[in-house]
Amino acid sequence: MKNKTIIIFLLTFLLIGSGWALAAEKKEPQQNPQLKNVQALRRIPILDEGRIKPLDTYARTILLQFSGKRTFDRKPAINWLAKIVFTPWETLEDKVFLINSPEIPAALNVAVEEHRRYSFSELEKGLAKLRELAVAANAIDQKERNVVEQEILRVYNNVNLYLNLRTAFSFTIAHPDFSIENSSVKAVLDFPNSRNHYSFLDIALNADQINEETQELQKKKSDVWSPDEKEFMRLLKNLYQWSLNSSDGGTGLTIMPSLNPDNEIWLSPWETARHNFSHPAIRQELGLIQKMADSYRSDSQLDFDIATKSLNLTISKRIPQTQTASYKRLPLEVLYNQNNLFLTSWIFYILTFFTFLFSLVWPRPILHKVGFTLLILGFIPHVLALIMRVVIMSRPPVTNLYETFIFVGVVSVLLSMLAEVFNKKWLGIVVGSICGFACLAIADKFSAEGDTLKMLVAVLNSNFWLSTHVLTITIGYAGCSVAGIMGHVYILQALFKRTKAEVLNSTYQFILGTLGFGLTAAFLGTMLGGIWADQSWGRFWGWDPKENGALLIVLWSAIIFHSKLGRLIKPLGVAVGAALGLIVVMWAWLGVNLLSIGLHSYGFTSGLVTNLGIYFICEVIFLTVSLIVLHKRGIHV
Amino acid sequence: MTKIFKKLRSNKVILFLASLKIAVLGLLFLFILTFWGTIAQVQNGLFASQERYFSSFYFLAAGFIPFPGAQLVLWVLFVNLMCAFFTRIIFSSEKLGLIVVHLGLILFLVTAFVTLHVAKESHLTLREGESSNVSRSYADWEVAVWPATKAPTKTVLALDIKDIKVNKYLSFHELNLNFVVKEYYPNAQAFTSPRGAAGIKEKYLNASGINVLKPKPLDKEREKNVAGIILEQKGQLPVLLFGLEDEPTKIRVEDKEFFITLRHHRHPLPITVKLIDFMMDKHPGTEVARSFRSKVEIEHDGLRRETVISMNEPLRFKDYTFYQASYQIDAMGREGSTLAVVKNGGQLLPYIATFVTFFGLAYHFLVAAFKFQRRRK
Repeated sequence: MKNKTIIIFLLTFLLIGSGWALAAEKKEPQQNPQLKNVQALRRIPILDEGRIKPLDTYARTILLQFSGKRTFDRKPAINWLAKIVFTPWETLEDKVFLINSPEIPAALNVAVEEHRRYSFSELEKGLAKLRELAVAANAIDQKERNVVEQEILRVYNNVNLYLNLRTAFSFTIAHPDFSIENSSVKAVLDFPNSRNHYSFLDIALNADQINEETQELQKKKSDVWSPDEKEFMRLLKNLYQWSLNSSDGGTGLTIMPSLNPDNEIWLSPWETARHNFSHPAIRQELGLIQKMADSYRSDSQLDFDIATKSLNLTISKRIPQTQTASYKRLPLEVLYNQNNLFLTSWIFYILTFFTFLFSLVWPRPILHKVGFTLLILGFIPHVLALIMRVVIMSRPPVTNLYETFIFVGVVSVLLSMLAEVFNKKWLGIVVGSICGFACLAIADKFSAEGDTLKMLVAVLNSNFWLSTHVLTITIGYAGCSVAGIMGHVYILQALFKRTKAEVLNSTYQFILGTLGFGLTAAFLGTMLGGIWADQSWGRFWGWDPKENGALLIVLWSAIIFHSKLGRLIKPLGVAVGAALGLIVVMWAWLGVNLLSIGLHSYGFTSGLVTNLGIYFICEVIFLTVSLIVLHKRGIHV
Repeated sequence: MTKIFKKLRSNKVILFLASLKIAVLGLLFLFILTFWGTIAQVQNGLFASQERYFSSFYFLAAGFIPFPGAQLVLWVLFVNLMCAFFTRIIFSSEKLGLIVVHLGLILFLVTAFVTLHVAKESHLTLREGESSNVSRSYADWEVAVWPATKAPTKTVLALDIKDIKVNKYLSFHELNLNFVVKEYYPNAQAFTSPRGAAGIKEKYLNASGINVLKPKPLDKEREKNVAGIILEQKGQLPVLLFGLEDEPTKIRVEDKEFFITLRHHRHPLPITVKLIDFMMDKHPGTEVARSFRSKVEIEHDGLRRETVISMNEPLRFKDYTFYQASYQIDAMGREGSTLAVVKNGGQLLPYIATFVTFFGLAYHFLVAAFKFQRRRK
């Protein structure tokens, strides 16, 4: 009997329906207090973008993707996600959809918002138009799309994901389709007489019983059915109808591992229910989700925590062996998310620089010690966060543009600290604080692209080459960047008339040292890149733009050293060369990616062109003005 | 010997050639060319930029200003470096690092020369179950001819048409086949027009029914060019061959029949490679590939063995290296794999040059750092 019920139930899941996404809208009107603490939810695993990550990371990523912000309503992203999945009706007015182009709301006939963020209620009336625009934008080749077309697709995808997430746990929401007034029916199903409203899952878990009650009905005409029988038949029909329409529900929230231990693909609760509802573990997990939802809506903290932790525990037992290591690292990732270590570093780097500025007006030896200590205090969380990332992903620290900035920041600060140990004249402290601050600030811009811990495409998926070529070339960037900043310091010191010759000479020596270090690392990195290319594609050198960029750094540094050796330039010339070297580094590091060609053209970021252009112009103006002033004073390159 | 060195050291030409100014100028030119050649790739593609800026001795900037190409600059730097070894660079323990660096650089220049003239790139595309002992060029074409017999094995004669000229002979002496090249386009498009259509005057022999061949401008990506050729033979209809044809065209000379086709240049391999299975792994729940692997059987001198070629893990055999490059799935769902084949006798050279130069740099850097530290004390 049970098997037959299950077959009927599974059959109901077979067909694909649509328009179900908004089924939750027809719910019983509810005004629920929201649970404030959804901490336990953070550690629930989800398979997203090919990796097992905590729900906390997922929530942060999609909130950033939707709204460009990391919190909503001054609450963490996980609270916002919990609100969508557990009480979707309360998110209709949340202004969470960021639309940067004013043309889009105008086209959708929606009033333009000052803060560029819109609620679903506002966008709902223009959904058909949005879809039409998205289809047209999608037909255009990716490289040919303009900013507005890209934005249309982004907004459209976000609205779809939102609709999808809203139905992720819709099987837990009480709905008129499953309300039962009839006491005897409730008694048969073992439901309390005091409660009338039930969810899809409440009824589905009793599908056996309902099926049994309706089995004989086929032999009778419907007009002779008793009220109880009619009620059972209505419930069964609604179960069937919901199952038909469930296929597009909540597919985004893939939090349930497959029952097959060799299958690495995870499913959403709705998909799991469709495929394996009869399995006791699945029933138990869906039941736990129901408990989580009920306790969330009734503000029962303890019940919510227990249900969430139980769900986490049962899921953990079913995780395929190949993914258990990732699962075990989830608490670390949550810890990494919660402690914004980069922000801490950033603040310390700023404080370090301000200490230096203060020392200019109040020169005391103690300030030097304070400055150096602050730099170290900034460095510690910086390197700690880097190590955490390495452990979480079990791979070397640099795999994308975001990570290059984090890593170059660490190496630059380390080099600067070493320089300060020998220099003791603020050089390392100033350069370190500038490098640390700048790298983290730029990295922050890149983190707006979404999850910064991404899986790698096949050709990059090699820990050996990532830890040799990529690390050495980024160390080269760091060395040349530090030399570049020191070059600026030298020029400023030279402009400042009271600077002692001894101080200038010391800065000059350190420029040579760091540039030499940068050249060595950049050379090795470039050539290791050649070896990697030879190992992967069969050619050592292919004049690929990124290879050329790295070669430019090597050539530029070589030009400086040979010009110095041939007495073609003086110390000021070396300093200017190092400062210009920063432009070369920026070109190799970022500029090449803007060309959107070649094998390394990952990570294009709009707005980068403008920022790089501004930097380039400022640099040229600074160097030109400085050189004119110094030339008049008789100091030549 | 020392006398010769002394003479060389006082020779004014050698001294001039060894000058640091030439080195700086050379490096500056190389810097400019590298930057220019990178930017040019956006417009002209990799191959054209490579030819114009890097492989050339000179080119005309803006159509009339001669500018040195990277090959000339590298030759100048090579001569400069060699002369510097005879004159300026004096052996001493302090300068050991720098000497090693420059020896490494000479090795790099030698490597570049060898690679330019020795390395050959081609590819081997197989569907599962297929095997082959020839690889195909990516962009070079050849005209191939073989007798139309039912024999299980056939001898194919092929002529490279890279430097072919219109109105010149294309002769397969062994088969006594002589053609005159009537038309040749490195990139062409082919059409089948109805007989008697306007402008269609000539009749051609062609297996695919093509009767019109028109030139097309060369594509930025060399691999996308499809050659087309029209060959005339005495007393016969001219033969039209187009690079994308599946079937060869049958021709008759006296009482013998031959097949003729225009195809990508074939390179014989020392082994026979059979694709047993192509495996692609994706990151779960995504379309992002995690790994590509080809399980192949290789046969050499009657000996067979199985091996797996994957991304970052190529198969090496003598001077040949086979890399996992691409894959295809046809309409029937059959998987195929493309292996890039590189023949390069000087493959080890860049590895040696890299490590020699790096150790020189590292040694010099450390010596300089210690010297600096000692001076401070």
